[in-house]
Amino acid sequence: MAKRPSNKARPVSTSKSGAGVRSGGARQGGGQRAQPQSKGARQSVAQARRTSANSNRTQLIIGGIAIVAIVAIVVIGLVINKEQNAQQGDPNYLAKASTATVVDHSIVIANGDPATSIDVYEDALCPICGEFEYQYGKQIAEMVDNGDLEVRLHMLDFLNKHSSSGDYSTRAAGALLAVAIEAGDEPGLVIKFHSALFDPDTQPAEGGDSDLSNEQLADLAISVGAPKSVKTSIVDGKYVQQAAANAEDGVASLAAVVGGDNVGTPTVLHDGAPVDIRPTDWLPQLVG
Amino acid sequence: MTRLSAVLYWVGLPVRLGLAAVWLTSGIAKALDPAQTVVAVRAYRLLGESLVRPVAAILPWLEIALGVLLVLGLATRLAAALSALVLLAFIVGVISAAARGLLIDCGCFGGGGTVAPGETQYTVEILRDIGFLLLAGWLIWRPVTPLSVDALVAARSAGGQDGDADQA
Repeated sequence: MAKRPSNKARPVSTSKSGAGVRSGGARQGGGQRAQPQSKGARQSVAQARRTSANSNRTQLIIGGIAIVAIVAIVVIGLVINKEQNAQQGDPNYLAKASTATVVDHSIVIANGDPATSIDVYEDALCPICGEFEYQYGKQIAEMVDNGDLEVRLHMLDFLNKHSSSGDYSTRAAGALLAVAIEAGDEPGLVIKFHSALFDPDTQPAEGGDSDLSNEQLADLAISVGAPKSVKTSIVDGKYVQQAAANAEDGVASLAAVVGGDNVGTPTVLHDGAPVDIRPTDWLPQLVG
Repeated sequence: MTRLSAVLYWVGLPVRLGLAAVWLTSGIAKALDPAQTVVAVRAYRLLGESLVRPVAAILPWLEIALGVLLVLGLATRLAAALSALVLLAFIVGVISAAARGLLIDCGCFGGGGTVAPGETQYTVEILRDIGFLLLAGWLIWRPVTPLSVDALVAARSAGGQDGDADQA
C-alpha cells in the first residue's frame, strides 16, 4: 500500500531540522545538536534534514507556482473581461441631434425617420439599467443621432418600494417626462438627461437611505441643458401622475410580450420580441 | 497513520472539492455576467466608485483561480488561506449591507410586486459564507488531502525515507 503523506509536520527527526540544513554526512561541532553515535543513524538524521530542507523548498516552489497560476488566471480573465464589459461606442460622445416626443406611454427619441426601432424598458432605480446605460448609452446616442435608430423609452416604476422616498422611480420618470414634453425638441437633451439619471454618481442605491428629491432632479435637468422653465414643472411634480400611469401601461405592454412573471429591467424589444443584450455587439447586429 | 488521521485525511477530499466547487460555480457565474457583477459589487457600497469596476473585473477570475488550485490540490493551505480571506471580506460586506438595509440582489427582476427581501436573505447568505469559511479552515488545518498534487509531492518527498511517521 502506498505510503500516505502525513499532515503532521514533515521533518521526521525531532531535532531542530528545517532551515539551516547541512548537506549529507557533513559533521561539524554542531552546537547543541546531539550527535547520534552510529554512522547509519547519523546518515539517517542528515538525510532527514536534507529531506525536510528539500520539502521546505518544495513547499516554496509549490506556493510560488500557485501564486503564478492565480496571477495568470486573473490576467487572462481581465483581458477577456475587458472586451466583454467595455463601454461600447465613444465614451466622450455627446448626444446632439435627437429630439423626443411623447407617444402614448412612451418617450420616442429619434433623428429623422430611422429604419430600426427598439423599445427599451427601464426603471430609474434599476442598477442593471445603469450598467446597460454605461455599456451602450453612448453607442445608442450616436446611432440615434445618425438617424439609424429610434428608441421608444418606457420608464417603469416597480422599484419604487426599494427607494428611500418610496416613489423615486415615478418621480424620476416624471422629471424625464417633463423634459420630453416641455423641451423635447432641444436636440440631444432627453438623451443627456436620461444618461445623467443613470450615472453611477447620480443614481440612488436600491435600499439606500437617500435618493434624489424633485429639486435635485430639477437641478440635474438644468445641469445638462434643460431650459429654466422646466425646473418648476419638475419641482412641482407636474408630470409624476402621468408618469405613474405611463409606467402601468408600460408594464402591461411588456407583460403582453414576455409574460407577467418575466417583467424586468432592462429589457429591449425589437419587432415585438425581446433582444438578447448579453452579446456586446447586439446593437450593431440589430441595426445592420 | 492512525485510524483517526486516516479518517481526517479522507474527510479532506470532499471538503477540498466542495470548496473548489463553490469557487468555480461562483466565479464562472460572475465571469459570464460581468454587468451583474459590477452591479453586485457596487450594491455593497463599500468601495469607492473608482474601485468598483476593477474589483468586479478581477473577482470572478480570482474565484476561478482558487477553485482551480483546490481542484488540483495544489498549494492547498495557501489556497485555503486566501479563500478564508475572501470569504471573510464577503461576510463583512453582507453584514455591513444588512445593517444599512441595502439590497444586494437587484430587485430589477422581481417583476411587478414580488416581496422586498427581508432579514432572512442576509442571514442565509452569512450562514452560507460561514459554512464555506469552515471548509477553508479545515483545509488550513489539514491541507494534505487525497488525490491532490500536494499529496503527490509530499509522498515523493517522503519517499525512500525510513522511519517516516506514515505507516501503510
